[in-house]
Amino acid sequence: MTTTELIKNIGLKALSEFDDRKITGVFVSDMLSDVMAGAKSGDLWVTVQTHKSIVPAANLVDVSAVIITSGKEVPQDTVELANKHNIAILKSDLPTFELVGKLYGLGLVTK
Amino acid sequence: MPECQHLWEMINIQFGFVVFEKCSHCNGLRTYFSPKDHPIVGDAYLEGEHTWRCMENAQSFQFDLRCAKCNRVEKYDDFMGFLYCTGCLPDCQVDIIQKKLETQKTWVLVAFSFFPRKEKDSFSPERLKILEDYFNQRRDTSRSRVAILSYDLIEDFSRCKGEFIHDVGMLSLEPPKERKPLL
Repeated sequence: MTTTELIKNIGLKALSEFDDRKITGVFVSDMLSDVMAGAKSGDLWVTVQTHKSIVPAANLVDVSAVIITSGKEVPQDTVELANKHNIAILKSDLPTFELVGKLYGLGLVTK
Repeated sequence: MPECQHLWEMINIQFGFVVFEKCSHCNGLRTYFSPKDHPIVGDAYLEGEHTWRCMENAQSFQFDLRCAKCNRVEKYDDFMGFLYCTGCLPDCQVDIIQKKLETQKTWVLVAFSFFPRKEKDSFSPERLKILEDYFNQRRDTSRSRVAILSYDLIEDFSRCKGEFIHDVGMLSLEPPKERKPLL
């Protein structure tokens, strides 16, 4: 599944410009160190963090997209930095638990 | 014997906190890694001529790298974290290099060791290369790459508005929207 297909399937809102990519797994964490240590290239990163430092963290480990859950407001400087790096910042009003359930239901599992 | 084409993996991962302390007399900064599972809090304390006060606890991690082919281990217990350049100083070498590499889809991060800085604490070019190789081996480099620079390229930390990739304010219900400058 690609980022664009995921947006349609789950009803996410794309906040940034991005390169469409194949999603190869899911990583759920609200700690940047956890992401830097454990996320894999192509993973979908699910978090409630919205500070712009999520962009270089996402870029460092080459995630396919970042989904901000629980309807959190994403600051404009985060979106602008994501635009610069072509990283997808997607938003969902669902709590993390429910969103991850939907992702699992779509067959998106970490290999 | 041909040289090993290293394939690096992260080992000895330990989560903890990078503690930022400032001396209220000389304004000196020092940082260190605490492997405890809670932030260091407390009053200012006297140590020699210094009175240290904790400015920030940043949730972070430490690690080493090991080659999966030859088992060579490269330790990074002096690694404090990565800083990303915000382009605040147009004459800064980091920003100059960053602007040049961005056109080649290469994203720049600055590797820091702990404060106070000592000459011998600088990351050697080889160690920086290993760190860079590891993160590039983790990604699809046909799309983009990362370049890791030494903090030596930053001439004046007091003017730098770069931001560290670590978590602050983890004890609050909402992640902080603004971060206070730490350098």
